[in-house]
Amino acid sequence: MTQLPTPGATPAAPPPSEPLPTAAPPRPRWRETLGLLARNPTAAVSAVVLVLIVLMAVFDETLAPDGPNDQDPSRQLQPPSWSHPFGTDEFGRDILSRVVLGAATSLRVGFLSVAFALVVGTLIGLLAGYYGRWVDDTLMRLMDVLFAFPAVLLAIAIVAIRGAGPANAILAIGIVYVPIFARVTRASVLGVREEVYVRASRSVGASDWRLITRHVLPNAAPPIIVQTSISLAFAVLAEAALSFLGLGPRRPNPSWGLMLADGRGFIDQAWWYTVFPGLAIVVTVLCFNLLGDGLRDVLDPRQRTLMAGGGR
Amino acid sequence: MTAPVLEVEDLRVDLRTPRGTAHVVNGLSYTVGAGETVAVVGESGSGKSVSVLALLGLLPARTATVTGRALLDGEDLLTMSPERLRQVRGPGVGMVFQDPMTSLNPVLTVGRQLTEGLRAHGSLSKAAARARAVELLGEVGLPDPGRAVDRYPHELSGGMRQRVVIAIALSNSPSLLIADEATTALDVTVQAQILDLVEGLQTEHGTGVVWITHDLGVVAGIADRVLVMYGGRCVEDGTVDDVLERPVHPYTRGLLGALPDLATDDEADLATIPGTPPPPTDLPAGCVFWPRCPVRGDARCETEQPPLAVVAAGTGGLPHRAATWCAEGEAS
Amino acid sequence: MTSPAKGGPAEGAPDVLVSARGLEVHFPIRSGGALRRTTGVLRAVDGVDLDVHRGETLGLVGESGCGKSTLGNALLRLVPPTGGTVTFDGADVTRMRRRELRELRRRAGMVFQDPFASLDPRRTVAQTVAEPLEVHGLHPGRQARAARVRELLQLVGLDPAVAARYPHEFSGGQRQRVGIARALAGEPDFLVCDEAIASLDVSVQAQVLNLLRRLQRQLGLTLLFISHDLSAVRHVSDRIAVMYLGRVVEVGPAAAVAAGPQMPYTRALLSAVPLPHPELERSRQRIVLRGDVPSPSRVPSGCRFRTRCPDVFQPCPDVDPALQPVGSAPGHVAACHLHGVVGTPVERERPDAPVDAGDPAA
Repeated sequence: MTQLPTPGATPAAPPPSEPLPTAAPPRPRWRETLGLLARNPTAAVSAVVLVLIVLMAVFDETLAPDGPNDQDPSRQLQPPSWSHPFGTDEFGRDILSRVVLGAATSLRVGFLSVAFALVVGTLIGLLAGYYGRWVDDTLMRLMDVLFAFPAVLLAIAIVAIRGAGPANAILAIGIVYVPIFARVTRASVLGVREEVYVRASRSVGASDWRLITRHVLPNAAPPIIVQTSISLAFAVLAEAALSFLGLGPRRPNPSWGLMLADGRGFIDQAWWYTVFPGLAIVVTVLCFNLLGDGLRDVLDPRQRTLMAGGGR
Repeated sequence: MTAPVLEVEDLRVDLRTPRGTAHVVNGLSYTVGAGETVAVVGESGSGKSVSVLALLGLLPARTATVTGRALLDGEDLLTMSPERLRQVRGPGVGMVFQDPMTSLNPVLTVGRQLTEGLRAHGSLSKAAARARAVELLGEVGLPDPGRAVDRYPHELSGGMRQRVVIAIALSNSPSLLIADEATTALDVTVQAQILDLVEGLQTEHGTGVVWITHDLGVVAGIADRVLVMYGGRCVEDGTVDDVLERPVHPYTRGLLGALPDLATDDEADLATIPGTPPPPTDLPAGCVFWPRCPVRGDARCETEQPPLAVVAAGTGGLPHRAATWCAEGEAS
Repeated sequence: MTSPAKGGPAEGAPDVLVSARGLEVHFPIRSGGALRRTTGVLRAVDGVDLDVHRGETLGLVGESGCGKSTLGNALLRLVPPTGGTVTFDGADVTRMRRRELRELRRRAGMVFQDPFASLDPRRTVAQTVAEPLEVHGLHPGRQARAARVRELLQLVGLDPAVAARYPHEFSGGQRQRVGIARALAGEPDFLVCDEAIASLDVSVQAQVLNLLRRLQRQLGLTLLFISHDLSAVRHVSDRIAVMYLGRVVEVGPAAAVAAGPQMPYTRALLSAVPLPHPELERSRQRIVLRGDVPSPSRVPSGCRFRTRCPDVFQPCPDVDPALQPVGSAPGHVAACHLHGVVGTPVERERPDAPVDAGDPAA
């Protein structure tokens, strides 16, 4: 046996024996994802519309022509016109302004409840999927119980116990979506956990924490991101439903669901009262769903290798 | 030589990909005689598998363009109607792929799958077909064929499954058997069993065999003739002795040099072929191998494609051919 | 880098870095139902005795399902052993605490089979290679780490400029080099290569084999080369160990095992390896084994190879053979009654109570 006793030494390397990839400069993954998303027209348009809606919600006070509760008895239930493009309600309030201002409420409830579900559900799914055994059994049975309740009923129960109001609506909707995120995360983690690169990292001594945060979670993320987008759609709907039932944000501050509920009484006299807030809900929900579908395609690794180019 | 079972002439396969047209097979010609085994050798991406999938009409029609001629017993496979091709595939051509599970239906018993083929192409009664199935399973060396016939694929080992696939492939005594990396997933001892089996059955039935593999050891054991593929082209062909013992093309030489030898105690490094094969979307203009060739010489290698030319008289009455500019230089 | 072995090697005896004694890895077979009752035991590794000498390349061959991969993992406690012991440089691996285990992870690296699966697709080459450095706090500081990563990439024959790229931009051979660089980052003494060349093309296999041999010599590594490819194992190894159904059945100097196998299974295995020489192939007498490898959940009594052995005789079903010196080369051992009946009678079979039922010196 020939052996040079030079442990640890790093000798000069032989020339690389294969041509190295030089096609494209290294691109971060998220840039690549954005690039691919831009090539998917439906998802791209949806994303743009959503950004506009969010901007509208952020700058609501400057954008809205009137205040939310500026009443004017002289212009009750007027149809759409140049001065009030979406018409007015029974108190003479400008519906366009209330749709714009209601966006903030609806989206805030949507985003915060999904954020809650995302954090709690992902954590539960991560622990259940990664550690398996009794951790998995305990957590997922708990999720099954939660999942067994009809979603709206559960939300109503939570609001009934804690009282109506935006904060409780957020909590209620959030809790309803926790099991969905837990399941999606667990399924994804179960797949990633068995990947060779996770074993490889363990073989160099990486801790569980490191494996979870550096390898498992990033690679398990795509379905969770898709789920987030789709859940946002449902959360906006759920907020509308709760408001409609009088369990969400309280009057007189506008929210899309509340406006639907209030307009219901006037549906035969003033179609615009329900149609415009309803349209706002439809557009937002549709865009979140379409974006979710687009992300599903873009984040699918098979699609990526097919479309990305530059690699081997 | 008797009339060839398969005659492939100037086979070309282009595949449309998002990165452009991939020229996967570029003018492949060979013949397979009755009872003859032709090995098609190459590394991944050489086009060896695509070339046989194209023959059998198994490439996606939307993205693949296949041209040339492929006569099976005088009938062109490439211009056949889909129905005729389906009829031919069973009795005319048997197929064995790397993963037996891709050819076996997991929810049907082995016997059911065997008799299906037998009854579709013949006119056997149910009982006769079953009896024939048991016979076939015995022929491919399945222990206790009477019982094995009622088993499901998952109840059998990998080697046994591959035997079943071979039994199905040979059930209608086809004139041609195509094996695509059929023993690659198997252990060497099982591989030895399967190679023995195929050789035996072939001598018995006079089947022509196209054996696709990357393993030169397997080639040495079973092939009569060898065709070395690189970049979708045949770069060297001839009898197995000529190609493996007296290789001419630098690629064939490189491949053989890269193999560790079990027989000799060798402390020296293995020979390697630098670089990687060219992508089929962007093949070099001249000799396909020149970017990696250790002996490339003048500008001709780079610009002019060498034809497959006779380099030696060859043994067994077959010419030894290679597509390289180097052989000439050596001869002169 | 290497701490001196405790006590030092005995006179003439080889310096052992890793040693397994009666090593067992048994997996429970569970029924699918909600109760998950254990219905059987899969004996993936079933009483392995094996020494890996410091500075050598030990080839571990066997067919799929023989437990060679599980054994490699169990030596590093990446799979928990269910019985027996493993010592690494004198320390009992099976009883290591968290801190010692982390040090073991630094001192022993692993290279995996599939270079497309063993690199995290979301991390750059630099991040992957630097992981062991971060985990073990080696070469602290951004600059020092980057320099070390460049050095490692150069060591495995890659251009350091590729550090910022992602795995999908590389070919299989290049990825495997990245995997090797990661395994070497902690300056290990011991490297386990688990089918490291199995999914590479022939010409690329040769590149990686050459690289492993060069690294082994340059860095004084101890290498466990696990593979089903006997030719490759023969080429890189100093010694070869053959595994069958969870047990090491023959060990010896590579030349001795390849040229003069002493156990019928090794003989059959060697005779089945196809050689790229047509004339040799035609004249070669192949030993074709009967049937299939038995399931590791139903290991035959006595010698586990007896159900397929062409030379089976009376004591084979009754006595579980132990490794005994065979052939003329020193250090060549095999577990086979053809060389004298040595082992544990089936009736009283206990891994820690070997009984000599014959004269071992005969």
